[in-house]
Amino acid sequence: MIRHIVRKEFTDVVRDGRFRWCSVLVGSLLLISLGHGWVQARNAQQEHAAAQATAREHWETQGEKNPHSAAHYGIYAFKPRLALSFVDEGVDPYTGTSVWLEAHRQNDFLLRPAQDATAAQRIGALTAAQVLQHLVPLLIILLTFGALASERERGTLRQLLATGIGRRELAAGKALGISGALALLLVPAALVGAAALVVASPGPAASPLARGTVLAGVYLGYFTAFLALSLAVSAWARSARTALVILLAVWVVNGLVAPRVAVDLSKWLHPTPSAFEFARTVQSEMSTGVADISPPDRDASTQRLLAEYGVERVEDLPINAVGVYLQESEEFGNRIFDRNYGALWDTFERQGVVHEMLAVAAPLLAVRTLSMGLAGTDVEQHRHFATAAETYRRDLMRQMNGDMTENSLTGDFSYAAGAELWESVPPLQYAAPTLGWVLGNRILSLLVLGAWLAGAILAAVARVRRAEVG
Amino acid sequence: MTARTVLRNEWRLLMADRALRIVLGLFAALLVYALANGVVWLRFQERTVEAVESGNGERTSALQQELDAIANGGQPSSPFADPRSPLVLGGPSGSHTAALEPGSLTALAVGQSDLLPYYYDVNIYTNESSFQQNGEVENPLNLMVGRFDLAFVVVYLLPLLVLALSFNVLSEEREQGTLALTLSQPVSARSVVAAKLAFRAFLVVGMVLAMSLLGVLATGGFDSPGRVLLWCAAVVTYSLFWFVLAAWVNTLRRSSAWNATVLVGAWLVLVVVLPAAINIAAGLLHPLPSRVEMITAQRDASNDAVNRRSELLARYLEDHPEMAEGVVADEPGLGALAWAATDAVNRRLEEVTSEHDARRADQIVLVRRYRFLSPALLAQDVLIDAAGTGDARFAHFQSQVRAFAEQWREFFVPAILADEQMTASVLPNVPKFRLADEEPGDATRRAAVPLTVLGGLVLLVGMGAGVGLGRVRGAD
Repeated sequence: MIRHIVRKEFTDVVRDGRFRWCSVLVGSLLLISLGHGWVQARNAQQEHAAAQATAREHWETQGEKNPHSAAHYGIYAFKPRLALSFVDEGVDPYTGTSVWLEAHRQNDFLLRPAQDATAAQRIGALTAAQVLQHLVPLLIILLTFGALASERERGTLRQLLATGIGRRELAAGKALGISGALALLLVPAALVGAAALVVASPGPAASPLARGTVLAGVYLGYFTAFLALSLAVSAWARSARTALVILLAVWVVNGLVAPRVAVDLSKWLHPTPSAFEFARTVQSEMSTGVADISPPDRDASTQRLLAEYGVERVEDLPINAVGVYLQESEEFGNRIFDRNYGALWDTFERQGVVHEMLAVAAPLLAVRTLSMGLAGTDVEQHRHFATAAETYRRDLMRQMNGDMTENSLTGDFSYAAGAELWESVPPLQYAAPTLGWVLGNRILSLLVLGAWLAGAILAAVARVRRAEVG
Repeated sequence: MTARTVLRNEWRLLMADRALRIVLGLFAALLVYALANGVVWLRFQERTVEAVESGNGERTSALQQELDAIANGGQPSSPFADPRSPLVLGGPSGSHTAALEPGSLTALAVGQSDLLPYYYDVNIYTNESSFQQNGEVENPLNLMVGRFDLAFVVVYLLPLLVLALSFNVLSEEREQGTLALTLSQPVSARSVVAAKLAFRAFLVVGMVLAMSLLGVLATGGFDSPGRVLLWCAAVVTYSLFWFVLAAWVNTLRRSSAWNATVLVGAWLVLVVVLPAAINIAAGLLHPLPSRVEMITAQRDASNDAVNRRSELLARYLEDHPEMAEGVVADEPGLGALAWAATDAVNRRLEEVTSEHDARRADQIVLVRRYRFLSPALLAQDVLIDAAGTGDARFAHFQSQVRAFAEQWREFFVPAILADEQMTASVLPNVPKFRLADEEPGDATRRAAVPLTVLGGLVLLVGMGAGVGLGRVRGAD
């Protein structure tokens, strides 16, 4: 019996002109955004890889100079586009794409693509993830709001139940039929996405297929929750119209109101300093130190070296005391940067948790967090790259100062290193975080999404059991 | 039966409907939340601009003190930062921060003000790459989602309220069988619907405008009444569009349920789907060039410049005789050589940027054309432009900062080339940034076409509704 229900529902939906139109619209938006995202991600990745190679070349061919001059010259790091970023570009347009790694300073990431776009492009940016998060649930609502409510309005619900089918089978059949119709739309898109990933990955990533599979699972859970919720409302509402109004209200709150409420709420709860204030704090702490972090004392450092090497005068030291002092300044600066940037990143993270918590009222927020996380385009993974770039900068500075210390004497400014030293610096190799790392960070969202899924299914079961017949 | 009777009757009906009262209350609460967010953001920006301005003063007086001390025989605090050198006094440690006052209606629309920089440090090293900086410290996640401000409520949520209030303005009468009764009175369907909609429009638009004006009043935005008027005009026109659309759909003589479905569909298409589709089309047809190549170009240029400093200086002196009075090119100081290299890098950067900006400007002209397809995009554009938080005002500010940087160089470069020492007496003459904000008419001029198009749409759909209503008979 349930087979008949499934088949009837599936045929109904597929033959319905409204469904066809909506599906064609959503399906083409999905495919176009996937394709567009893929092309964009690949172009950006190629551009970044090329720029990174040029930056390396600039570094290696900078000519003979003092290692400290080379440290000031520094090198640029370009953020790679990860393989799955074509599905969800996440915060990438709003984070900078490159950072200058130079002596004495931790710089900000510059060149945010969104700054070059217009206000209109900002409000309507469309990625595959947005189609999946906003438009597919809408499609589900449109397909499901009448599932039980219309049958009841038409009086066919009583007839159906008179055939002896259980309410639960009836509802399950309807859900399966609608899912089958949706699968016609979503399975090809998923296959296209997977094929794009396997055939020509637009960028590097740790285990892209595993990430992609979990991503598909997350969206599947989201859609199932919406389907179950719609069925529950359809079973409960007095008329199909009421069901539609309620579900649309849910959709508006979920997709439009809650995400923006979360933004301002997170800023109220966890305010960030102004850029001016932040720069000023860093500057003043760099010049005078703070709390238990004090600037290196050059005289003390020299005295220590004199004692260590058992000589009387700086000129007699077998090493360059300036190099030692420069490295001490770096270590001091690093502690100041860690303190300030660390606090800022932590504030961003706490703001992110506010978004995740509000997922209790809007599952979209949980799905969005997971989707960006798996695509490698969330704030945490930007931080992960920023940290890797900063670690690279620190190693680079240590190597430059070390070379200066070892190979020149104090007061000798004529020492110049060459290509051999520049080439001995390993290139920046970024390893994107593993799937486990991403999921470990996102346990809250996983739990909330799971709760939504379980809650929606339970609600559907309960409502279907108690649904009025006519 | 007069319009007043209709209005009074409508008010009673509305107040008797609990669901509607709840919806209206909720809408009012959202308006308050949105306005509060905007005010908090405005205050934050005002405080920052104030701190920036006082930072300028503090820097100048610190330099003044140090220069006075040196004049009295003291030593500079660091041999690398001797403020007598024009490279130091005009450089980063003597820089002047040029700030943009927040747009007068920022409390109503945050717009682009959370993304684009509103202050720049200007010194002799300011060049095109200085403009490629981040704006305010902000969580990228929050930038991506956008703020909950009045502009958001107006563009996205207000249409839904309008539709909820008016989707059955005529169909309900027909379904309840009261249409024939109403039209048996000496009154036309047109005037009944007009009165009903006018009442609803008065209610909804009144709420939004009252909240807007409250915000303006609380934040002192009345200094630019033109912008306030523009904001109100945009709110009214955009809301009217949705009212007349609802009226027109009602004249199609379908059921209330059908009206609701069609109107929600229209909202979805015009507010959600079209802007998204437009952006995809714009991205595919007119991709914006990336800035990454700028970094490479800057690097290339500076590597090159360092090696050819003398040659560059000779050329610079040829090109800028006005800057170089009294400079002997045969024995240039280190400062002059360094400046020549800096200048060469700046010129190269200007080339790369102007090429890029020209391409970007072309793309943006094309992208901006598409907004005429969606009333939501048009309204959004006018609203943030009226608020002074749109792209145009920031571009205007940037061009002013560019001119100011030029003024700054004109002041310091001759001294650099002549290897002159500076004293405290020059400090009062150092250029200061004076923001010449946009003329009040500028935003109005930019909004003229979008507003006219929006108004034209209202007239067109309104006329369609008027004609349709003329055909309504009580027997329908």
